[in-house]
Amino acid sequence: MKSIDGIQFAEMVRMGAHHLHQNADYVDTLNVFPVPDGDTGTNMNLSMSSGAKETEAQTDAHIGKTAQALSKGLLMGARGNSGVILSQLFRGFGKEITNDAELSPRRLAEGLQHGVDTAYKAVMKPVEGTILTVAKDAAKKAVELADKEQDIIRLFEATVEEAKASLQRTPDLLPVLKEVGVVDSGGQGLVYVYEGFLAALKGEKLPERQDMKSMDDMVKTEHHKSVAGFMNTDEIEFGYCTEFMVKFEDGKKAFDEEAFRNDLSVYGDSLLVISDEEIAKVHVHAEEPGKVLTYGQQYGSLISMKIENMRQQHTDIVGEGHQKEAVKPAETHPYAVVTVAMGEGIAELLKSIGASTVIEGGQTMNPSTEDIVKAIQAVGAERVLILPNNKNIIMAAEQAAEVAGIEAAVVPTKNVPQGMAALLAFNPEASVENNRDAMTDAASLVKTGQVTHAVRDTSIDGIEIKKDDFMGIAESKIVIAAPELKNVAQELLRQLIDEESEIVTILYGEDSTEKAAKELAEFIGTLNDEAEVEIHHGRQPLYPYIFSIE
Amino acid sequence: MSVEISNDYGKIDISNDVITQIAGGAAVECYGIVGMATKNQIRDGLTDILRKENFAKGVIVRQEADNLIIDMYVIVSYGTKISEVAYQVQSTVKYTIQKLLGLPIKAVNIHVQGVRVTNP
Repeated sequence: MKSIDGIQFAEMVRMGAHHLHQNADYVDTLNVFPVPDGDTGTNMNLSMSSGAKETEAQTDAHIGKTAQALSKGLLMGARGNSGVILSQLFRGFGKEITNDAELSPRRLAEGLQHGVDTAYKAVMKPVEGTILTVAKDAAKKAVELADKEQDIIRLFEATVEEAKASLQRTPDLLPVLKEVGVVDSGGQGLVYVYEGFLAALKGEKLPERQDMKSMDDMVKTEHHKSVAGFMNTDEIEFGYCTEFMVKFEDGKKAFDEEAFRNDLSVYGDSLLVISDEEIAKVHVHAEEPGKVLTYGQQYGSLISMKIENMRQQHTDIVGEGHQKEAVKPAETHPYAVVTVAMGEGIAELLKSIGASTVIEGGQTMNPSTEDIVKAIQAVGAERVLILPNNKNIIMAAEQAAEVAGIEAAVVPTKNVPQGMAALLAFNPEASVENNRDAMTDAASLVKTGQVTHAVRDTSIDGIEIKKDDFMGIAESKIVIAAPELKNVAQELLRQLIDEESEIVTILYGEDSTEKAAKELAEFIGTLNDEAEVEIHHGRQPLYPYIFSIE
Repeated sequence: MSVEISNDYGKIDISNDVITQIAGGAAVECYGIVGMATKNQIRDGLTDILRKENFAKGVIVRQEADNLIIDMYVIVSYGTKISEVAYQVQSTVKYTIQKLLGLPIKAVNIHVQGVRVTNP
């Protein structure tokens, strides 16, 4: 063939668009650059269809006019990065040949080259290893051959070969492609377009879909995506990777791929179906593989079945430790309060007054930002308030609130009594800000007393402290240190309780007893006989007593 | 101004310049962007494309509550679909900043300050 005209070119475009459309899903699976959002194939397909539609209306045999129509359609329909690049390639191409009624091999090469030049001009820093590189290498090959090659089919054949070879080189140019083990998605899309062009030139039909070989690639990328997508094994919704082939049989239901696909999509995700006249190959992640197989049997007999339990595999991948950590999300609440405390008793107490989650931690074992974020996410609420209950955790909590990805705020509680007071002020109807303010106010109204051990000799606030002494801390100030627990607790209470005190809560820890706590309650009666005393077993380590005075 | 992150070991301060450079760098690699422009073309007397050193004039980083808002002033190549190019910049900048800095982004606003016509 010596030349092509506008009618032939329109057919090439139609075929190119069709071939790209057929393989758009596969192109999507390759998409990792610049943003791995898996839409390159979809975007290029929409762009190219818009271009093809415009050329359909163009019935002129003048190729310049057809190319103009393609250029216009592509510009209007351009979607995504690759779509815009595609539109530039054909804009330059169209501009170059705008006055040509027919294209010789030489002019075709010049048109392609001009398209590449235009496309490169529209970017400040071209990234090599993308559709741009593939287009450039292909055009270069066309230009090289243009002088000696008289046959336009042979010229374009070599051009497409070079485009494919260039595509295979993209992982060497762009490290991120190598990392994932794929070729560039936009480049692959362009190769499909060019393959369509060539098939139309030769008057051949292209296979409706990619051959069976690429099914393995697609399955690989689907698995890669689904493994990367699940942090917790519990998040896997469809647990069985199911693969089989259906060999169609006479007398069974007639095969219609689209209907087949739609029906199967109900059973799970990551669905891939590839078929020809005799056989359909299916890959799907389903929760009930049996139903999928039964469905397939309507069309014929099943061959080469394989079913794998992905939860099992995922657990193996992420390991036992991760399994334990994975907190099962409770049913979704609109609101949740995440708090931090030491000791099971305190945790239970906090839960009983409204905390959704209590993170184990406190003095000497502060939870990290990540721990808090995990807890926030696991609780599955839309809005979260965080009560750190320790001044060393406030920063981490604030950071967690920022990165948690949902509406969250921190009530800067410095100890458990403040946290309890704040919890009681929580209003599930109010906004996060209003709750934060109200709970912060409530926390500031409570007086806190704590009794703990001294770990070394020191002198603070004018009080001599010896190792193993008990220290009484009012708010954050040490007010007494002595060897006798009872004396310290009583003296601390004496300083904290006044006539205004209405409710005194005693949380006794691992190092104290209920009996001792009751004795303290009696002692409180001597300080203020109107105060109500509550006693709870907090089971907290290190602090024999925590007092809350309201 | 800077953005502060604290973790168990201490604090990390990331200056706005860093965010500006990353956002600008990501944007100029986007297809269809021929360069960054200054926010105040007349006042700065620069109608030209900004160099890397003055990206800060064309990338404005604000912090609102805990989120970053980035305003970018760009020049787009003639003949490209501007809305698509702008969308690509938004998604690339957002992705890149979150990947490199782990900072939450509330908005990436694109202001197209000019169109550069190159004679193809």
